[in-house]
Amino acid sequence: MTAAALEASRFRPGPAVWVSIAAVAASLAIGALLVGLTGVSIPEAVAAFADGAWGSPYAIGASVNRALAFALVGVGFVFAQRANLTNVGGEGQIAVGGMAAAAVALHAGVAGWPLGLAWIVPLLAATAAGGLWGAFPGWLKARAGTNEVISTLLLSFIAVWMLYGSVQSEALLRQPMTSSSTLPESLPIPDAAQLPLLAPDSGLPLHVGLPIGLALAVVVGVVMSRTVFGLRLRAVGLNPEAAKRAGIPITASIVAVMAAAGALGGLAGGLMLLGEQYVLKAGFSSGYGFDGLVAGLLARGSIVGVLAAALLFGFLRSGGINMEMVAGVPSALVVVIQGLIIVTLAGAALFIDRRSARA
Amino acid sequence: MSPDLAFAVFAGSTVRLATPLLLAATGELVSERAGVLNMSVEGMMLTGAFAGAWAASATGSPWIGLAAGVIAVLPVALLQAVLSITLRANQIVTGIGINILVLGATTLAYRAVFGSRSRTEIPGFEKWSPPVLGDLPVLGEHLFRQVGLVYLALLLLALVAWMLRHTALGLAIHAAGAAPRAADKSGLSVNAIRYGAVIFTGVMSALAGCFLSIGDIHTFTEGMTNGAGYLAIAAVIFGNWRVGRTALACLLFGGATALQFQLPALGVDVPNALLIMLPYLLALIAVAGVMGRQHAPAGLTQAFVR
Repeated sequence: MTAAALEASRFRPGPAVWVSIAAVAASLAIGALLVGLTGVSIPEAVAAFADGAWGSPYAIGASVNRALAFALVGVGFVFAQRANLTNVGGEGQIAVGGMAAAAVALHAGVAGWPLGLAWIVPLLAATAAGGLWGAFPGWLKARAGTNEVISTLLLSFIAVWMLYGSVQSEALLRQPMTSSSTLPESLPIPDAAQLPLLAPDSGLPLHVGLPIGLALAVVVGVVMSRTVFGLRLRAVGLNPEAAKRAGIPITASIVAVMAAAGALGGLAGGLMLLGEQYVLKAGFSSGYGFDGLVAGLLARGSIVGVLAAALLFGFLRSGGINMEMVAGVPSALVVVIQGLIIVTLAGAALFIDRRSARA
Repeated sequence: MSPDLAFAVFAGSTVRLATPLLLAATGELVSERAGVLNMSVEGMMLTGAFAGAWAASATGSPWIGLAAGVIAVLPVALLQAVLSITLRANQIVTGIGINILVLGATTLAYRAVFGSRSRTEIPGFEKWSPPVLGDLPVLGEHLFRQVGLVYLALLLLALVAWMLRHTALGLAIHAAGAAPRAADKSGLSVNAIRYGAVIFTGVMSALAGCFLSIGDIHTFTEGMTNGAGYLAIAAVIFGNWRVGRTALACLLFGGATALQFQLPALGVDVPNALLIMLPYLLALIAVAGVMGRQHAPAGLTQAFVR
């Protein structure tokens, strides 16, 4: 298949799209069935779900912000996947991004800086921290052949506990202890470092992170399909030995794309802190990295697919949380639905590939 | 606390904390030697932990719990096997998917059975002292007095080491992972071997999970494996796909975890977070190739098509 045909097939709804839609629909149906089993009335649960997912401008904004973090991690995943690398380190990359953003926003005296630098610089720090956290396993892969799945996963656990430790210690990011009841969390992010809202009067909590994220998704899409670097990644992914003979710098390509994937994860962490949570505390990344990873997995290499999956999960998570609070249905239901979607699509990959090859 | 006693307590908790890793890693080792990177150990352990706890609390018998854990893991292991062997799905994707599915399903089931955030004490295994060893001063009480599953783990480890090294089955497993095509030509069924290996991993992981819930702490908490399955996989890589070194890695990770409880008791002030992340850090150092280049089975993660 030529590159052009591959490109075209991505925008024509092929078997992959139909199978994905069927898998999502079937998983949602099983989810509804499980709601029935827990004894909650399905209309009540669905109403609570809809209310939490898109019932108010605030709910919509919260869902989209969640989707934004998933999308950034997912885009990074797809980018690295181009070189046949599996970056499962989104959770840790979000955590180091959050820590870097908090450190700079709280302790670098950014509050008085003009031109939005007060939030731009912490975001850049988050991006750089995530980039380093991603580049390291890339370097290990290229140098020692370390399986990047294992190293990124281990680095995720390490980063999550680093964050936990950093908000336990006043020498690091914990707020000054004024009494024994001072919570182990950072000071709140000052107003100047909070991300500007897109529409402050509408009640929609959407911030500048959204256009930044969308722009980056487009950039990554273009880099993957229209640049020499994108072509090199593909060559490295398909046959590293041949790519090496063709003079492609393998180490540099692997490190660069893993750094980029990590940077997107770090940025997601920065956006979460400066645009939504405003306080760094244990459990900050709360599974966002794994949801983003899943969005990336399901997209089968397509940026549009990542955005679609991220939106789906953003609304699914928000709705699920409200369903737990209002209707008493455990939000673990959403986790089950996600698991079902991944397992079904993984199992259908052979079928999809065969049908796609025939088409 | 006298140094002798402190050491005995430390050694005892190291062994106790290493046991679930040892069980799961022994299973994972067999699966990886046969060519399947079974990422769903975490989910398999959680399945065993939940089913074991459920059945033990329903019947009052930890033995029935153990049996239930092993039975409940079979569909999970079979799912992993069908997806990664027959349907040739990406082994990493299926593993992660199964882990997410099991995390959600056990949490839902736990809430349905035990109610939200209850901390019911579940009937579990009592500790047991082996003859002779159990009569030793200090060590007998603090090192050798363990739940029977600890000794079962050591026994199974020895059996698997012997099986891999000295039996035709061991050779067949090795061939399925290292040279699947040659194994196929010589009349072995690569996929049948791999199915067996994955199911064996499932059973071992279920035992590991049961150890956590009804062996060690006598309760179930949501997502209680908390990354132990991934540590077991790291132990296999740390161990360079060899039984002895894998077991050593498990003990090392167990020891690192034991320090969390030991050091504060000795008055040593180390940030808790550092101690919790220590096993992951050690595993990372190991997989980073500091310990020499790793030699994975050649056919690892590659589905086999005749």
